[in-house]
Amino acid sequence: MAPTPPPRPRPEGGLGVLRRVIHRVTAAGFGDATELRAGTLTASRPELEALTADPALASVRLSWVSPGDSARIVKVLDAVEPRSKGPRGGAFPGFVSPARIQGRGETHVLRGAAVVAAGFLPRAQEAVVEMSGPAAELSPLGLTHNLVVEFEPAEGAAWENVDAALRRGMLRVAARLADAAAGGAPDEVEELSTPGPRSGQGPLPRIGAITNLQTQGAFKDVFFYGRSLAGSPPVVIDACEIEDGAIVSGQYGHPALRNPTYIHQNNPVVSALRAADSETLEFAGLILSPEPVDQGAKELTAAHTARLCAALGWDGAIITKEGGGNADSDNSLKMDALEEIGILGVGLFSEMSGPDGTAPPLVSPPSTATAMVSTGNYDERLQLPAVERAYGAERCALLDVEASAAMEVPTAVIVAALSPLGWGRLTASGADMVSA
Amino acid sequence: MRVVHYINQFFAGIGGEDKASTPPASREGAVGPGRKLAAALAAEGHELVATVYCGDDYAASAPSAATEILALASEAGAELLVAGPAFGSGRYGIACARVAAAASAAGIPALAAMDPSNPGLPEVAPAIAVNSGEAARHMGDALTKMASAAAVLARGGTPGEAEGVISGAPAGARRNTVSPRTAAERAVLLALSRLAGGKQTEIKLPDFGHVAPAAPIADPREALVAILTEGALVPSGNPDRLESARAKHWFRYPLTGRDTMAAGEFQSVHGGFSTVVANADPNRLLPLDVAREMEVSGEIKALYPEYLVTAGNGTAVADATHFGVEWAAELRRAGVQAAILTAT
Repeated sequence: MAPTPPPRPRPEGGLGVLRRVIHRVTAAGFGDATELRAGTLTASRPELEALTADPALASVRLSWVSPGDSARIVKVLDAVEPRSKGPRGGAFPGFVSPARIQGRGETHVLRGAAVVAAGFLPRAQEAVVEMSGPAAELSPLGLTHNLVVEFEPAEGAAWENVDAALRRGMLRVAARLADAAAGGAPDEVEELSTPGPRSGQGPLPRIGAITNLQTQGAFKDVFFYGRSLAGSPPVVIDACEIEDGAIVSGQYGHPALRNPTYIHQNNPVVSALRAADSETLEFAGLILSPEPVDQGAKELTAAHTARLCAALGWDGAIITKEGGGNADSDNSLKMDALEEIGILGVGLFSEMSGPDGTAPPLVSPPSTATAMVSTGNYDERLQLPAVERAYGAERCALLDVEASAAMEVPTAVIVAALSPLGWGRLTASGADMVSA
Repeated sequence: MRVVHYINQFFAGIGGEDKASTPPASREGAVGPGRKLAAALAAEGHELVATVYCGDDYAASAPSAATEILALASEAGAELLVAGPAFGSGRYGIACARVAAAASAAGIPALAAMDPSNPGLPEVAPAIAVNSGEAARHMGDALTKMASAAAVLARGGTPGEAEGVISGAPAGARRNTVSPRTAAERAVLLALSRLAGGKQTEIKLPDFGHVAPAAPIADPREALVAILTEGALVPSGNPDRLESARAKHWFRYPLTGRDTMAAGEFQSVHGGFSTVVANADPNRLLPLDVAREMEVSGEIKALYPEYLVTAGNGTAVADATHFGVEWAAELRRAGVQAAILTAT
C-alpha cells in the first residue's frame, strides 16, 4: 500500500510580499537639494529639470501647487504618485527601469504628493483640477501637493515624441522625489500580497477585479510595463505589480472618466477588495483587459475575460472601464459574458443623464446583467470660482476664457471626478440601491 | 376668453403620414379631440373659437411654421392658445412646444400638453407644459387637465401640480450626491449582496424605447437618397462652431456641384476619435464620391442636395432624439425615401 502523500501546502499564486513604505508629505516647495524632512518635500529645480531633458522638449517649467491654494490646473494630462524601490531601482518598469517583473520587496510611497503634467497635446480633452473651492475634493489631485510639469515642445518635434518625452520625464521626476525619502523613517508600513488560487477551499466568495485599459492609439493609450495592451487578450497579473508603476497612463480623453497613473497605483477596487479579504470575501486577484475599438474584438475580449475568471475560480468580478460610451460597452459585454457562465459581474458606470438628470443614463447598457454602481452624472454643471493662479495654459479651451476665470463646466471636465476605477464618492441620487 | 386650439393633421382628420407635409390651416370651432376640450372650457366660461392644424413634418421642419400657425391663431382672435395633447409623439410635441412658446412670447397665454419624455419639452418655455401621459389612451384625462390649466391661465394665474403642469426636474431626475463610501467600496458591498441573493443596483437599465425599422424601399432606382453623418464633418474652419462633444446643434451644408468631399475643404471636429484618416479623405465619413457614382449610373434616382450633420460624442439622448425627429421631418417633407447615416 502506497503511503498517503502529505497534504500539499496551499499554493501561493502571487509573487510574495510587497512592503509599502509610506512617507507622508504635508508641505512642499523648492530648495537647493531634493529631500523629504519632517513631512516637507523639497525639490531641486535644476536637478529635476535635468531629468526631463529630451530632444523633443524645448523646455519644462516646474511649479508646486498645494491643497487650499487659489489655483487651478487646466489641460491636465497625467498624474503620478512618487514611488521608489530604493537605490537598486525598479519603479515604473518599462520607462524608468528595465521592463522586469516588479511587485515585491519594498516600495517607498510619497503619500500626499503627485507629479502632474499639463499642457497641449493632440486629442487631449480639456481637463481641470481645482486646488480649492467646491470641485477640489472631486479629484484626487485637488487633495495632493502637486509638482506641475508644464512644457514647450521642441520645434519640429512629432507630437508622439513630445508625449513620450514628457511621460519619461515625469516618471523620472516621480521616482527621484521618492528616492529622497528612501533613507528616512516611514510614517507607516503596509504589507501586501496577492492570494493564490484557493478555489472552493473556503466559505467566502472569491471576488476579483477586472481593470479595463483604454487602447485607442496615440494619446488614448495605457501602458503595461511600457507597452500598450492593444491587441492583447486579457492578462492575469499580481495586484502588487501595479504598486510599482507597472501601469502608466497615456490616455488624455474624457477627463472625469480618466484613470491617471496615480489612480492605477492606488487601484481603489483592489484596495476595497483587500480591505474585505478574509472578512467577507476572498480577494481573488486582478485581470487587466484592453478596450478594443471594434465590436467583434470587444466581444472576443469579453469572452476571454469570462473564461479567465472561470479558470481562476472566481464567484464574482468588479469591472471597471476607462472612457465614455464606447468603454461602457466593454463593461457591459463582460458583465453579460460572466452572467452567461454563472459568475457575477458588477460594473462601475458614470451616467450621461443630461444637465437636468432626466436622460437615459447609459449609452450601452448590459443586456442581461444588472448589477451596476453609479459614479455620478457626467453632464451635471459645476460652478468654478475665479482663482489667483492657473497652470497648464493661459486659456481654458472648453469655454475660450482666461484659465483663471470663474466658469460653469460639466462635471465631465474635472479630472477623475467620476473615476471609473471607483476612487470617488459621487453617485446619482435616486440611485440609492433600487431593485433591478 | 377666446381660445384657439392647435392639433396635428392626424387629429384634425386630414390623414396620416401621407398628409404629414400639409401646411397650416384653420377651421372655425372645435375639431376632433377639441370637442371635449371645448365642452370643458365652456363650463369655465371660455369659448374654443378655432382650430389651427398642420402636418407634423411641416410643423417640425419648416422654419416659418410656428410663425404661420400663430398668425392663423391671431386671425381667429386668440386670447389664449392650447396645443396638443401630443403624448410621446416627437414631431407633434416639437410643433406644440414651438407654437405655444411663440404665442406666449407674443403675449398670448399658452400651454402645450405632452409626455415628460417628449423631445419637444425643452422648447415649451416661456409657455406652460401640461403632462398628457405617453399615449392617446390618456386622451380624456389630458383634455381635462388642459382645460383646468387653461382656466387658471385665463384668470391670470399660474397653473401648478394640480393641473398636471410639468415643472423643473421630474421625479426620478438624477442629481449628483456624495456617498459616505467610495464607488469601489460600494461595488464590493453590491457584489456581496448579489452573491447572497440580492437584486439591487444603483442604475436601472434605461428604456430607450423601440424604433421599428422602416420597410425596405421597393426600387432604389426610383429613390431620392440622403447622406447624413454624426461624424462632425463640417466645412474647414467649422464656421457654425459645431461642438466636438455633447452637441446641442446640427447643421446642413450643400452638396450641389460637388462630386467628392475634398480633403482640405472639409474637416471632422469630432472629439471622440482620431480624425486624421477622416480628414485625409472626408468621403470615408460622408460617402459622396460613391453616392455620386451611383446617381450617375442610375442605381439611385438622385442624391438629396444637402447633407445633415452633428457630432455624436457624449450627446445627451434627449438631444439626439430631438435631432432625429427634426431630421426625419425635414427629409420626409423633401420626399427623401432613404437615408444613409454614417456613425463613428
